[in-house]
Amino acid sequence: MIGVRPAAEPAQTEPLLEATALEKWYGPHPAVRGISFTLSSGEFLTLFGPNGAGKTTLLRLLAGSLRPTRGEIRFAGDDGDDEHGWRRRIGVLSHQTYLYGQLTAEENLRFYGRLYGLRDLPSRIDALLEQVGLQDRRTELVRNFSRGMQQRLALARTLLHEPEMVLLDEPYTGLDPHAARMLRGVLEHLRDGRRTILLVTHNLSQGLELADRVVIQAGGRWVFDAPRSSIDSATFEQLYSERVGGAL
Amino acid sequence: MEFVRQSLVIATKDLTIELRSKERLLSMLTFAVLVAVVFTFSLDPTVQSRGIAGAMIWVTILFAGMLGLGRSFSLEREQDAMVGVLLTPVGRGALFFGKFLANLALLSGATLVVYLIYALFFQLSMFSAAPGLAGVTLLAIVGFLALGTLFSAIAASTRLGDTLLPIVLLPLLIPVVFFGATAVQRLLLGRPFEEIAGSVRMLAAFDLLFLFVCTTLFGKVVEE
Repeated sequence: MIGVRPAAEPAQTEPLLEATALEKWYGPHPAVRGISFTLSSGEFLTLFGPNGAGKTTLLRLLAGSLRPTRGEIRFAGDDGDDEHGWRRRIGVLSHQTYLYGQLTAEENLRFYGRLYGLRDLPSRIDALLEQVGLQDRRTELVRNFSRGMQQRLALARTLLHEPEMVLLDEPYTGLDPHAARMLRGVLEHLRDGRRTILLVTHNLSQGLELADRVVIQAGGRWVFDAPRSSIDSATFEQLYSERVGGAL
Repeated sequence: MEFVRQSLVIATKDLTIELRSKERLLSMLTFAVLVAVVFTFSLDPTVQSRGIAGAMIWVTILFAGMLGLGRSFSLEREQDAMVGVLLTPVGRGALFFGKFLANLALLSGATLVVYLIYALFFQLSMFSAAPGLAGVTLLAIVGFLALGTLFSAIAASTRLGDTLLPIVLLPLLIPVVFFGATAVQRLLLGRPFEEIAGSVRMLAAFDLLFLFVCTTLFGKVVEE
Protein backbone atom coordinates (compact mmCIF):
# COMPACT_ATOMS: atom_id res chain seq x y z
CA MET A 1 0.00 0.00 0.00
CA ILE A 2 1.29 3.43 -0.88
CA GLY A 3 1.66 5.79 2.03
CA VAL A 4 1.61 9.35 0.83
CA ARG A 5 1.87 12.22 3.25
CA PRO A 6 -1.10 14.57 3.21
CA ALA A 7 -0.74 17.81 1.28
CA ALA A 8 -0.09 20.95 3.27
CA GLU A 9 -3.49 22.72 3.34
CA PRO A 10 -6.39 20.44 4.18
CA ALA A 11 -9.43 22.46 3.14
CA GLN A 12 -12.21 20.52 1.47
CA THR A 13 -13.91 23.22 -0.57
CA GLU A 14 -11.31 25.94 -0.97
CA PRO A 15 -10.76 26.62 -4.70
CA LEU A 16 -7.25 25.59 -5.59
CA LEU A 17 -7.31 26.47 -9.24
CA GLU A 18 -9.38 28.74 -11.41
CA ALA A 19 -9.28 28.59 -15.19
CA THR A 20 -10.97 31.36 -17.14
CA ALA A 21 -11.90 31.22 -20.84
CA LEU A 22 -8.97 28.97 -21.69
CA GLU A 23 -8.18 28.59 -25.35
CA LYS A 24 -5.37 26.87 -27.17
CA TRP A 25 -4.94 26.95 -30.93
CA TYR A 26 -2.37 25.07 -32.97
CA GLY A 27 -2.22 27.29 -36.04
CA PRO A 28 -5.81 27.41 -37.36
CA HIS A 29 -6.88 24.35 -35.33
CA PRO A 30 -8.49 24.86 -31.91
CA ALA A 31 -7.62 22.21 -29.30
CA VAL A 32 -9.24 23.90 -26.30
CA ARG A 33 -12.07 26.38 -26.79
CA GLY A 34 -13.24 28.70 -24.05
CA ILE A 35 -13.10 26.38 -21.04
CA SER A 36 -13.72 27.94 -17.61
CA PHE A 37 -13.85 26.04 -14.33
CA THR A 38 -12.63 25.90 -10.76
CA LEU A 39 -11.05 22.96 -8.98
CA SER A 40 -11.44 22.69 -5.22
CA SER A 41 -8.89 21.31 -2.79
CA GLY A 42 -9.45 17.60 -2.34
CA GLU A 43 -11.57 17.22 -5.46
CA PHE A 44 -11.13 14.21 -7.78
CA LEU A 45 -12.19 15.19 -11.27
CA THR A 46 -12.16 12.74 -14.14
CA LEU A 47 -12.08 14.22 -17.61
CA PHE A 48 -13.42 11.95 -20.35
CA GLY A 49 -13.37 12.44 -24.06
CA PRO A 50 -12.53 10.78 -27.35
CA ASN A 51 -9.16 11.01 -29.06
CA GLY A 52 -8.55 14.54 -30.31
CA ALA A 53 -10.93 16.15 -27.81
CA GLY A 54 -8.12 18.34 -26.43
CA LYS A 55 -7.89 16.59 -23.04
CA THR A 56 -4.11 16.30 -23.03
CA THR A 57 -3.76 19.88 -24.25
CA LEU A 58 -5.94 21.07 -21.37
CA LEU A 59 -3.83 19.07 -18.93
CA ARG A 60 -0.62 20.51 -20.35
CA LEU A 61 -2.06 24.00 -20.01
CA LEU A 62 -2.85 23.33 -16.35
CA ALA A 63 0.61 21.84 -15.81
CA GLY A 64 2.21 24.89 -17.40
CA SER A 65 4.05 23.03 -20.14
CA LEU A 66 1.92 24.87 -22.72
CA ARG A 67 0.88 28.50 -22.76
CA PRO A 68 -2.76 29.28 -23.50
CA THR A 69 -3.54 31.24 -26.64
CA ARG A 70 -6.16 33.11 -24.58
CA GLY A 71 -7.48 32.95 -21.05
CA GLU A 72 -5.71 32.46 -17.74
CA ILE A 73 -5.11 29.97 -14.95
CA ARG A 74 -4.79 31.11 -11.35
CA PHE A 75 -3.59 29.05 -8.41
CA ALA A 76 -4.74 29.90 -4.90
CA GLY A 77 -1.93 31.60 -3.00
CA ASP A 78 0.20 32.21 -6.08
CA ASP A 79 1.33 35.80 -5.75
CA GLY A 80 3.54 35.69 -8.83
CA ASP A 81 6.73 36.48 -6.86
CA ASP A 82 8.33 33.19 -7.80
CA GLU A 83 8.06 32.70 -11.57
CA HIS A 84 8.03 28.91 -11.39
CA GLY A 85 7.01 28.49 -7.74
CA TRP A 86 3.56 27.13 -8.48
CA ARG A 87 5.17 24.21 -10.32
CA ARG A 88 6.18 22.87 -6.91
CA ARG A 89 2.47 22.35 -6.18
CA ILE A 90 1.73 20.17 -9.20
CA GLY A 91 2.73 16.61 -10.05
CA VAL A 92 2.13 15.15 -13.50
CA LEU A 93 1.90 11.47 -14.41
CA SER A 94 1.52 10.76 -18.08
CA HIS A 95 1.79 7.68 -20.31
CA GLN A 96 5.24 9.14 -21.11
CA THR A 97 7.33 8.59 -17.99
CA TYR A 98 9.66 11.64 -18.31
CA LEU A 99 12.47 9.36 -17.09
CA TYR A 100 15.99 8.92 -18.43
CA GLY A 101 16.69 5.36 -19.56
CA GLN A 102 20.45 5.77 -19.07
CA LEU A 103 20.05 6.69 -15.39
CA THR A 104 19.17 4.31 -12.59
CA ALA A 105 15.87 4.52 -10.73
CA GLU A 106 17.57 6.25 -7.82
CA GLU A 107 19.49 8.68 -10.06
CA ASN A 108 16.28 9.66 -11.85
CA LEU A 109 14.55 10.49 -8.57
CA ARG A 110 17.62 12.29 -7.24
CA PHE A 111 17.81 14.38 -10.41
CA TYR A 112 14.17 15.45 -10.21
CA GLY A 113 14.38 15.96 -6.45
CA ARG A 114 17.32 18.32 -6.89
CA LEU A 115 15.45 20.31 -9.51
CA TYR A 116 12.69 20.77 -6.94
CA GLY A 117 15.34 21.72 -4.37
CA LEU A 118 14.16 19.07 -1.88
CA ARG A 119 16.17 18.89 1.32
CA ASP A 120 15.33 15.48 2.77
CA LEU A 121 15.86 13.80 -0.58
CA PRO A 122 17.53 10.50 0.45
CA SER A 123 14.77 9.62 2.90
CA ARG A 124 12.03 10.59 0.42
CA ILE A 125 13.64 8.48 -2.30
CA ASP A 126 13.97 5.52 0.06
CA ALA A 127 10.33 5.80 1.13
CA LEU A 128 8.94 6.19 -2.38
CA LEU A 129 11.02 3.39 -3.89
CA GLU A 130 9.85 1.16 -1.07
CA GLN A 131 6.27 2.22 -1.64
CA VAL A 132 6.26 1.55 -5.39
CA GLY A 133 8.07 -1.74 -4.83
CA LEU A 134 11.31 -0.82 -6.59
CA GLN A 135 13.66 -0.70 -3.58
CA ASP A 136 15.56 -3.77 -4.82
CA ARG A 137 15.91 -2.34 -8.33
CA ARG A 138 17.08 1.14 -7.34
CA THR A 139 20.54 0.80 -8.89
CA GLU A 140 19.32 -0.64 -12.19
CA LEU A 141 19.14 1.43 -15.36
CA VAL A 142 15.58 2.46 -16.14
CA ARG A 143 15.91 1.33 -19.78
CA ASN A 144 16.02 -2.24 -18.49
CA PHE A 145 12.71 -1.86 -16.63
CA SER A 146 9.42 -3.22 -17.93
CA ARG A 147 6.70 -0.73 -18.89
CA GLY A 148 4.91 -1.36 -15.59
CA MET A 149 8.07 -0.77 -13.54
CA GLN A 150 8.82 2.42 -15.43
CA GLN A 151 5.31 3.69 -14.74
CA ARG A 152 5.69 2.85 -11.03
CA LEU A 153 8.91 4.82 -10.96
CA ALA A 154 7.17 7.66 -12.82
CA LEU A 155 4.57 7.62 -10.08
CA ALA A 156 7.32 7.98 -7.47
CA ARG A 157 8.71 10.90 -9.51
CA THR A 158 5.26 12.50 -9.59
CA LEU A 159 4.83 12.29 -5.81
CA LEU A 160 8.44 13.09 -4.88
CA HIS A 161 7.76 16.74 -4.04
CA GLU A 162 4.39 15.99 -2.40
CA PRO A 163 2.28 18.04 -4.78
CA GLU A 164 -1.08 19.53 -3.78
CA MET A 165 -2.49 18.74 -7.20
CA VAL A 166 -1.83 15.61 -9.25
CA LEU A 167 -2.55 15.59 -12.98
CA LEU A 168 -2.87 12.14 -14.54
CA ASP A 169 -2.90 11.76 -18.31
CA GLU A 170 -3.98 8.26 -19.38
CA PRO A 171 -1.80 6.75 -16.64
CA TYR A 172 -3.09 3.22 -17.26
CA THR A 173 -1.81 3.09 -20.85
CA GLY A 174 0.33 0.01 -21.46
CA LEU A 175 0.10 -1.29 -17.90
CA ASP A 176 -0.41 -4.97 -17.18
CA PRO A 177 -3.29 -5.89 -14.82
CA HIS A 178 -0.95 -6.05 -11.80
CA ALA A 179 0.54 -2.62 -12.42
CA ALA A 180 -2.92 -1.19 -13.17
CA ARG A 181 -4.22 -2.55 -9.84
CA MET A 182 -1.27 -1.01 -8.05
CA LEU A 183 -1.85 2.35 -9.69
CA ARG A 184 -5.52 2.21 -8.77
CA GLY A 185 -4.52 1.53 -5.17
CA VAL A 186 -2.26 4.58 -5.21
CA LEU A 187 -5.01 6.79 -6.61
CA GLU A 188 -7.40 5.54 -3.98
CA HIS A 189 -4.88 6.42 -1.31
CA LEU A 190 -4.15 9.81 -2.82
CA ARG A 191 -7.88 10.56 -2.74
CA ASP A 192 -7.64 11.63 0.86
CA GLY A 193 -9.84 14.71 0.64
CA ARG A 194 -6.83 17.01 0.71
CA ARG A 195 -5.08 16.41 -2.55
CA THR A 196 -6.69 17.57 -5.78
CA ILE A 197 -6.61 15.04 -8.59
CA LEU A 198 -7.43 15.47 -12.25
CA LEU A 199 -7.53 12.22 -14.21
CA VAL A 200 -7.73 12.31 -18.00
CA THR A 201 -8.90 9.12 -19.64
CA HIS A 202 -11.18 7.69 -22.28
CA ASN A 203 -11.69 4.52 -20.26
CA LEU A 204 -15.10 4.96 -18.61
CA SER A 205 -14.89 2.22 -15.98
CA GLN A 206 -11.42 3.27 -14.72
CA GLY A 207 -12.37 6.91 -14.76
CA LEU A 208 -15.68 6.60 -12.94
CA GLU A 209 -14.35 4.45 -10.09
CA LEU A 210 -12.87 7.17 -7.93
CA ALA A 211 -14.23 10.43 -9.31
CA ASP A 212 -16.13 13.06 -7.30
CA ARG A 213 -16.88 15.00 -10.46
CA VAL A 214 -17.09 13.87 -14.06
CA VAL A 215 -16.58 15.97 -17.15
CA ILE A 216 -16.87 15.15 -20.84
CA GLN A 217 -14.76 17.14 -23.27
CA ALA A 218 -15.45 17.01 -27.00
CA GLY A 219 -14.23 19.27 -29.75
CA GLY A 220 -12.21 21.30 -27.27
CA ARG A 221 -15.25 22.20 -25.10
CA TRP A 222 -16.71 20.82 -21.89
CA VAL A 223 -20.04 19.36 -22.95
CA PHE A 224 -20.93 17.79 -19.60
CA ASP A 225 -19.87 18.61 -16.03
CA ALA A 226 -21.60 17.06 -13.01
CA PRO A 227 -20.96 15.51 -9.60
CA ARG A 228 -20.28 11.78 -9.85
CA SER A 229 -23.01 11.09 -7.30
CA SER A 230 -25.63 12.60 -9.59
CA ILE A 231 -25.30 9.99 -12.32
CA ASP A 232 -24.97 6.18 -12.43
CA SER A 233 -22.48 4.40 -14.68
CA ALA A 234 -24.99 3.11 -17.23
CA THR A 235 -26.62 6.52 -17.70
CA PHE A 236 -23.21 8.17 -17.95
CA GLU A 237 -22.13 5.69 -20.61
CA GLN A 238 -25.24 6.44 -22.64
CA LEU A 239 -24.77 10.16 -22.17
CA TYR A 240 -21.13 9.90 -23.20
CA SER A 241 -22.12 8.17 -26.44
CA GLU A 242 -24.61 10.91 -27.20
CA ARG A 243 -22.32 13.80 -26.35
CA VAL A 244 -19.29 12.63 -28.29
CA GLY A 245 -21.29 11.49 -31.29
CA GLY A 246 -21.09 7.76 -30.66
CA ALA A 247 -17.32 7.73 -30.41
CA LEU A 248 -17.35 5.03 -27.70
CA MET B 1 23.11 30.87 -6.39
CA GLU B 2 19.98 28.90 -7.26
CA PHE B 3 20.82 29.45 -10.94
CA VAL B 4 24.27 27.89 -10.50
CA ARG B 5 22.90 25.00 -8.42
CA GLN B 6 20.22 24.14 -10.98
CA SER B 7 22.67 24.48 -13.87
CA LEU B 8 25.06 22.06 -12.18
CA VAL B 9 22.25 19.55 -11.59
CA ILE B 10 21.40 19.60 -15.31
CA ALA B 11 25.06 19.43 -16.39
CA THR B 12 25.82 16.57 -13.99
CA LYS B 13 22.87 14.59 -15.32
CA ASP B 14 23.97 15.09 -18.94
CA LEU B 15 27.58 14.16 -18.18
CA THR B 16 26.55 11.09 -16.17
CA ILE B 17 24.50 9.87 -19.12
CA GLU B 18 27.30 10.64 -21.58
CA LEU B 19 30.00 8.96 -19.50
CA ARG B 20 27.77 5.89 -19.33
CA SER B 21 26.90 5.74 -23.04
CA LYS B 22 29.99 7.51 -24.48
CA GLU B 23 27.83 8.01 -27.55
CA ARG B 24 28.74 11.63 -28.29
CA LEU B 25 32.37 11.47 -27.19
CA LEU B 26 33.09 8.44 -29.34
CA SER B 27 31.42 9.90 -32.41
CA MET B 28 33.28 13.21 -32.00
CA LEU B 29 36.65 11.56 -31.49
CA THR B 30 36.18 9.08 -34.34
CA PHE B 31 35.27 11.97 -36.63
CA ALA B 32 38.32 13.97 -35.48
CA VAL B 33 40.71 11.10 -36.18
CA LEU B 34 39.17 10.46 -39.60
CA VAL B 35 39.45 14.12 -40.62
CA ALA B 36 43.08 14.23 -39.49
CA VAL B 37 43.80 11.07 -41.48
CA VAL B 38 42.15 12.57 -44.58
CA PHE B 39 44.25 15.74 -44.23
CA THR B 40 47.40 13.68 -43.74
CA PHE B 41 46.92 11.81 -47.00
CA SER B 42 45.48 14.63 -49.06
CA LEU B 43 48.01 17.35 -48.35
CA ASP B 44 50.99 17.82 -50.61
CA PRO B 45 54.09 16.69 -48.62
CA THR B 46 55.85 19.92 -49.58
CA VAL B 47 53.18 22.05 -47.86
CA GLN B 48 54.27 23.48 -44.52
CA SER B 49 51.54 22.04 -42.29
CA ARG B 50 52.20 24.60 -39.55
CA GLY B 51 51.01 27.32 -41.93
CA ILE B 52 47.57 25.76 -42.34
CA ALA B 53 47.24 23.86 -39.06
CA GLY B 54 44.92 26.49 -37.57
CA ALA B 55 42.41 25.99 -40.37
CA MET B 56 42.63 22.17 -40.18
CA ILE B 57 42.20 22.18 -36.41
CA TRP B 58 39.21 24.51 -36.59
CA VAL B 59 37.46 22.54 -39.33
CA THR B 60 37.82 19.47 -37.14
CA ILE B 61 36.65 21.15 -33.93
CA LEU B 62 33.70 22.79 -35.66
CA PHE B 63 32.28 19.67 -37.29
CA ALA B 64 33.09 17.35 -34.38
CA GLY B 65 31.33 19.85 -32.12
CA MET B 66 28.36 19.97 -34.47
CA LEU B 67 28.16 16.19 -34.30
CA GLY B 68 28.05 16.31 -30.50
CA LEU B 69 25.52 19.16 -30.44
CA GLY B 70 23.18 17.23 -32.70
CA ARG B 71 22.80 14.63 -29.96
CA SER B 72 22.60 17.13 -27.11
CA PHE B 73 18.81 17.16 -26.92
CA SER B 74 18.12 13.71 -28.32
CA LEU B 75 18.43 12.20 -24.84
CA GLU B 76 15.63 14.51 -23.71
CA ARG B 77 13.29 13.25 -26.43
CA GLU B 78 13.11 9.70 -25.12
CA GLN B 79 10.03 9.43 -22.89
CA ASP B 80 9.52 13.20 -23.26
CA ALA B 81 12.03 13.87 -20.47
CA MET B 82 12.32 17.53 -21.47
CA VAL B 83 8.62 17.99 -20.66
CA GLY B 84 9.26 16.45 -17.25
CA VAL B 85 12.11 18.88 -16.63
CA LEU B 86 10.03 21.84 -17.79
CA LEU B 87 7.31 20.86 -15.31
CA THR B 88 9.75 21.39 -12.44
CA PRO B 89 10.54 24.87 -11.07
CA VAL B 90 13.91 24.93 -12.81
CA GLY B 91 14.67 28.32 -14.38
CA ARG B 92 14.84 28.16 -18.16
CA GLY B 93 18.10 30.11 -18.12
CA ALA B 94 19.58 27.58 -15.69
CA LEU B 95 18.39 24.73 -17.90
CA PHE B 96 20.15 26.33 -20.88
CA PHE B 97 23.31 26.99 -18.91
CA GLY B 98 23.39 23.42 -17.58
CA LYS B 99 23.13 21.99 -21.09
CA PHE B 100 25.78 24.48 -22.23
CA LEU B 101 28.16 23.47 -19.42
CA ALA B 102 27.81 19.78 -20.27
CA ASN B 103 28.45 20.51 -23.96
CA LEU B 104 31.44 22.64 -22.99
CA ALA B 105 32.95 19.86 -20.89
CA LEU B 106 32.53 17.33 -23.68
CA LEU B 107 33.84 19.55 -26.48
CA SER B 108 36.76 20.72 -24.32
CA GLY B 109 37.78 17.08 -23.85
CA ALA B 110 37.36 16.37 -27.56
CA THR B 111 39.29 19.54 -28.50
CA LEU B 112 42.22 18.50 -26.34
CA VAL B 113 42.34 15.20 -28.23
CA VAL B 114 42.09 17.06 -31.57
CA TYR B 115 45.20 19.10 -30.68
CA LEU B 116 47.04 15.95 -29.63
CA ILE B 117 46.08 14.21 -32.89
CA TYR B 118 47.35 17.11 -35.01
CA ALA B 119 50.50 17.42 -32.95
CA LEU B 120 51.13 13.73 -33.59
CA PHE B 121 50.09 13.49 -37.25
CA PHE B 122 51.76 16.69 -38.41
CA GLN B 123 54.68 16.80 -35.94
CA LEU B 124 53.54 20.17 -34.62
CA SER B 125 55.27 21.35 -31.49
CA MET B 126 52.64 23.22 -29.48
CA PHE B 127 54.17 23.11 -26.03
CA SER B 128 55.34 26.73 -25.86
CA ALA B 129 52.05 28.07 -27.25
CA ALA B 130 49.88 25.72 -25.15
CA PRO B 131 48.54 28.27 -22.59
CA GLY B 132 47.62 30.74 -25.34
CA LEU B 133 46.06 28.02 -27.50
CA ALA B 134 44.05 26.73 -24.54
CA GLY B 135 42.74 30.21 -23.69
CA VAL B 136 41.85 31.23 -27.25
CA THR B 137 40.26 27.89 -28.08
CA LEU B 138 38.19 27.95 -24.91
CA LEU B 139 36.96 31.46 -25.72
CA ALA B 140 36.00 30.38 -29.22
CA ILE B 141 34.18 27.20 -28.22
CA VAL B 142 32.21 29.09 -25.54
CA GLY B 143 30.69 31.27 -28.27
CA PHE B 144 30.23 28.28 -30.56
CA LEU B 145 28.45 26.26 -27.89
CA ALA B 146 26.28 29.12 -26.64
CA LEU B 147 24.75 29.43 -30.09
CA GLY B 148 24.98 25.69 -30.72
CA THR B 149 23.09 24.74 -27.57
CA LEU B 150 20.23 27.09 -28.42
CA PHE B 151 20.04 25.97 -32.03
CA SER B 152 20.28 22.27 -31.19
CA ALA B 153 17.20 22.78 -28.96
CA ILE B 154 15.42 24.41 -31.89
CA ALA B 155 16.55 21.69 -34.30
CA ALA B 156 15.48 18.94 -31.90
CA SER B 157 11.94 20.29 -31.88
CA THR B 158 11.62 20.18 -35.67
CA ARG B 159 11.19 17.29 -38.05
CA LEU B 160 14.42 18.17 -39.86
CA GLY B 161 16.38 17.78 -36.62
CA ASP B 162 20.10 17.19 -37.17
CA THR B 163 19.88 18.22 -40.83
CA LEU B 164 18.70 21.69 -39.89
CA LEU B 165 21.39 22.36 -37.27
CA PRO B 166 24.44 23.02 -39.49
CA ILE B 167 22.37 24.95 -42.02
CA VAL B 168 21.19 27.52 -39.49
CA LEU B 169 24.18 27.45 -37.17
CA LEU B 170 27.20 27.68 -39.47
CA PRO B 171 26.47 31.13 -40.94
CA LEU B 172 26.06 32.56 -37.43
CA LEU B 173 29.37 31.05 -36.34
CA ILE B 174 31.44 32.87 -38.94
CA PRO B 175 32.76 35.56 -36.53
CA VAL B 176 33.69 33.01 -33.86
CA VAL B 177 35.43 30.73 -36.35
CA PHE B 178 37.16 33.65 -38.05
CA PHE B 179 38.62 35.15 -34.87
CA GLY B 180 39.28 31.73 -33.28
CA ALA B 181 41.07 30.26 -36.30
CA THR B 182 43.07 33.46 -36.89
CA ALA B 183 44.30 33.57 -33.30
CA VAL B 184 45.14 29.85 -33.23
CA GLN B 185 47.04 30.10 -36.52
CA ARG B 186 49.11 33.04 -35.29
CA LEU B 187 49.89 31.30 -32.00
CA LEU B 188 51.03 28.19 -33.87
CA LEU B 189 53.34 30.37 -35.96
CA GLY B 190 54.86 31.75 -32.76
CA ARG B 191 53.59 35.32 -33.18
CA PRO B 192 53.46 37.60 -30.10
CA PHE B 193 50.29 38.05 -28.03
CA GLU B 194 49.83 41.62 -29.32
CA GLU B 195 48.94 40.18 -32.72
CA ILE B 196 46.03 38.17 -31.34
CA ALA B 197 44.81 40.65 -28.71
CA GLY B 198 42.15 42.02 -31.08
CA SER B 199 40.83 38.53 -31.84
CA VAL B 200 40.73 37.69 -28.13
CA ARG B 201 38.73 40.85 -27.37
CA MET B 202 36.28 40.11 -30.18
CA LEU B 203 35.86 36.50 -29.04
CA ALA B 204 35.18 37.64 -25.47
CA ALA B 205 32.60 40.16 -26.71
CA PHE B 206 30.84 37.56 -28.85
CA ASP B 207 30.84 35.10 -25.94
CA LEU B 208 29.12 37.58 -23.65
CA LEU B 209 26.62 38.55 -26.32
CA PHE B 210 25.78 34.97 -27.32
CA LEU B 211 25.53 33.74 -23.72
CA PHE B 212 23.21 36.58 -22.74
CA VAL B 213 20.96 36.32 -25.81
CA CYS B 214 20.78 32.52 -25.81
CA THR B 215 20.12 32.25 -22.05
CA THR B 216 17.29 34.76 -22.45
CA LEU B 217 15.76 33.16 -25.55
CA PHE B 218 16.00 29.52 -24.48
CA GLY B 219 12.77 29.57 -22.45
CA LYS B 220 10.78 30.71 -25.46
CA VAL B 221 12.34 28.00 -27.60
CA VAL B 222 11.58 25.06 -25.30
CA GLU B 223 8.27 26.06 -23.79
CA GLU B 224 6.08 25.71 -26.90
